Amino acid sequence: MTDTKHDDTNTIWHLSEQGCYVALTHDHLDLQQAIDRVRSPAAGAIVLFAGTTRDNFAGKPVKELQYTAYNKLALRTMLSICKDVQAKHGLKGISMIHRLGTVPIGEESILIAVSSPHRQAAWRAGEEALEACKERVEVWKREEFEGEEGVWRANRDGAVGQKVES
Amino acid sequence: MTSSAPKPPRGHFSILYFASAGSFTGRDSESLPAPLPLSKLFSELETRHPGFKAKILDSSLVTVNLDYVDVPGEGEEGPVIQEGDEVAIIPPVSSG
Repeated sequence: MTDTKHDDTNTIWHLSEQGCYVALTHDHLDLQQAIDRVRSPAAGAIVLFAGTTRDNFAGKPVKELQYTAYNKLALRTMLSICKDVQAKHGLKGISMIHRLGTVPIGEESILIAVSSPHRQAAWRAGEEALEACKERVEVWKREEFEGEEGVWRANRDGAVGQKVES
Repeated sequence: MTSSAPKPPRGHFSILYFASAGSFTGRDSESLPAPLPLSKLFSELETRHPGFKAKILDSSLVTVNLDYVDVPGEGEEGPVIQEGDEVAIIPPVSSG
């Protein structure tokens, strides 16, 4: 992973702690790597969630998405979510990686992989981690449309974001 | 947008504007004079960026040095933002 190519050198891009790995990156997301980070001989299941960028919002064509983050805080929140979910479901490992910058339609913007001794816990943990991420992690999505100004989206209400004049 | 602010000059704190807050102010961050009572933050920002409070701040959260804080009303007691602090305006998030 090339970790320090866009922002200044103080920007952090990943954190890890006891079976938890969280990262932000401007690169394409690597599904195999997300899975390998949680692989364990004690696990009988790995569940991988891949969120991909959709080509429309409520039927309106979207050209591409732009993601931005408060890296330091977003990674801290991601790690806190992963530790909570890991403890609650007895996971062997969990990884959560979010892409930033321009993400073309149809590509992965987020990966979450979890491993556990049995499949039920892995399914549940994967969903809980994703929902907590969407609710709390300090990452923002801007939808760019053809021929008009982009819109900052809010997960909170699923409503159309407000256009903001600069 | 950069995700780390440049270090503020002496006697200042830095404030980061993410997402719609950055679009509204036309910048990612700025330096403001410290100390400043947290209760005066929104009125200070509204003076610099008219319309900011109703359009953005009222629906945003605030962090000081990566911790979420409650912004007291004008005239209420509360913490004071100090020189070198990193304050951030956090609009509703939208990861995923």
